[in-house]
Amino acid sequence: MSDVWIPLSVLAHGRSGDKGDHLNIGLIAHHLEWFELLVDAVTPARLAAWFGPMLKGDALVYRLNGIGAINCMLKHALEGGGTTSLRLDAQGKSWGQSLLRLRVPVDHRDAKSLGVPLISATADEAGQVVLA
Amino acid sequence: MFEAGCLDEFGDESPPSSRIIRIGGGGGFWGDRVDAPIKLLQEEPLDYLMFDYLSELTMSIMAKQRARNPTSGWATDLTDWLSVGGMEALHRRGVKLVTNAGGANPEACAAAVLEIAASIGWTDARLAIITGDDILPRIDDLLESGQKLAHYETGTLLQDSGRSLLSANAYLGAGPIGAALGAGADIVITGRVADPSLLVGCMLDAAGWVENANEQNLERNIPIDEWAPESVSEPLDVLAQWTVAGHLVECGAQVSGGNSSDWASIPELDKLSLPIAEVGIDGTVAITRAMHGGGRVDRRIVAEQLVYEISDPTAYITPDVVIDLSEVTLTEISTDSVEVAGARGKPRPPELKVSASLEDGWFASASLLIPGPDAIERAKACDATLRGRLDATDLLICSELIGAGITLPPGIDSDEHLVEPAELLLRWAVVSNNRDEVIRFTREVAPLVLTGPGGVSGYGARGRPRRQLRHWPTLLDRTLVESSVRCDVIGTKDVSQVREIAHQTAAARRGQHGRGIRLLGRLHDGLEYSQLTRPFARRIATRVPEVLELREGSR
Repeated sequence: MSDVWIPLSVLAHGRSGDKGDHLNIGLIAHHLEWFELLVDAVTPARLAAWFGPMLKGDALVYRLNGIGAINCMLKHALEGGGTTSLRLDAQGKSWGQSLLRLRVPVDHRDAKSLGVPLISATADEAGQVVLA
Repeated sequence: MFEAGCLDEFGDESPPSSRIIRIGGGGGFWGDRVDAPIKLLQEEPLDYLMFDYLSELTMSIMAKQRARNPTSGWATDLTDWLSVGGMEALHRRGVKLVTNAGGANPEACAAAVLEIAASIGWTDARLAIITGDDILPRIDDLLESGQKLAHYETGTLLQDSGRSLLSANAYLGAGPIGAALGAGADIVITGRVADPSLLVGCMLDAAGWVENANEQNLERNIPIDEWAPESVSEPLDVLAQWTVAGHLVECGAQVSGGNSSDWASIPELDKLSLPIAEVGIDGTVAITRAMHGGGRVDRRIVAEQLVYEISDPTAYITPDVVIDLSEVTLTEISTDSVEVAGARGKPRPPELKVSASLEDGWFASASLLIPGPDAIERAKACDATLRGRLDATDLLICSELIGAGITLPPGIDSDEHLVEPAELLLRWAVVSNNRDEVIRFTREVAPLVLTGPGGVSGYGARGRPRRQLRHWPTLLDRTLVESSVRCDVIGTKDVSQVREIAHQTAAARRGQHGRGIRLLGRLHDGLEYSQLTRPFARRIATRVPEVLELREGSR
């Protein structure tokens, strides 16, 4: 398996919101056939790494097979939640959009055969090593 | 019973099981666009209009307002649009309105709504007030009887929170709404009801489940899936589908093109139209929208709302049913129409969610414009200057450099994501148990323009500290709540009595609030809520059979 990195927005779209102190980010694959690529790309470990110290609890990923979506639950990521957090975005509504720009790994051959556009694909997570 | 316009399309000959009910989603929160529901009512045939005004925070804000003014504590946006054409449109089009705008003061809300009905000459309007969600007056009794009301995320007991309780409301389900509509209510005003249950309540009425419960003399508080006529083979799945429809339209235009990842291609966001759920009495669901304005309903947009504010998709919990969303499918059946299928229902939970709020110190925020070059360093210096001037011991300060990556996780604020910003907004939010510390903060912001790094500007009026609230979600045995739920149906002529009741209720509450309900010990006494409300209205729906009696009597 050889991975390339693409912005998450190439694979999926989404929306985020609050469940108490927990942040919910729903990500929907642009095509049902891309669902497994999305599942492989956005793992609990990757979410935990992304959110780092912001995440005070676990990262969980649930599947919605019918619509080809995952629901990312980031436990205790909102500094107490909408009523308590001192952040401007106390309810986490911006995270769903901003996360779509982060780069995720996809298997090059699988992505190609499934028609995922790879124009913006790079060989590294930071997006600096452009594919030949 | 089904007099609304949508039936024109199907006629009386369509088999009962395929009858489609059209329910508009009037908006998604207190503060949503005020003219949109009028347009929806005027231009689209509807059977019901549901309008969710409440969030976790809203209830505690409303409780504070009610404590200050006995006629407030509800979503005044409702009367803002009802009074400028909304009520006429409801009356003329025969659309029933179901809303939780009552918030912390359903009686005062109802009085204001009835006054508008009277003012347009709707003399026989019938309005139902659903109460019993507010458990604040009973909180000491509940604690004394052994209820822990523990925070369901942290497990902390309520009595160990060390804070004063401002509000405590259970999320009621669809049953009382269905009963109210079945009793002939034109408008249903509730306090805290689970958002999707507003739609489910409409369907209990429209699909004849209330009627069946009346005929069978069923208890009001049994699970509502048991109200279903025998011909309904999978009532839990039907309830699940209805609830998903409610979930999809509860946030108003968020399912018809608002807040979409596809924002750049949504037609006419400035004229964004509201959504309509086309719900079959057999559980079929399609989401569409009012066609007069902009916006769009497609599979992508509906999917984003389906995943909004959910946790475990295999157990989406409401007071009426627990739903498995994991196999729900979305199919575009025509332009701006998406069919929703595959929701599965499981029996309702034995407990109701209760949303409480506690006082949690004092809050203020402020911001300043920081120019470049070196905007980030300049902002950090400005922040350090402010912090150095605050001699505080309890003050918690959150500083955000808006424009420098606050919407990205920490550590991902470099490389491609961050270019040197031309300017930043430096925003502070602070909280402290000591109000003086917060006042001191508000006084130190504007001086930074003259006494901080160069070029800083954009200060506004000095902020005022406001009470910070802490949300306290907990669970409570539903029988302890449902035994106190009531539904009063009143008419236009009862308006002055309702106004009086609202005053008395709020005044009684204000007394409690003024003393501060500390959670240790029993501090409130005096008038019971039920004593206050008893005299003024025909009391119905303590049991479903009484609903039936009332309805017969009112014919």
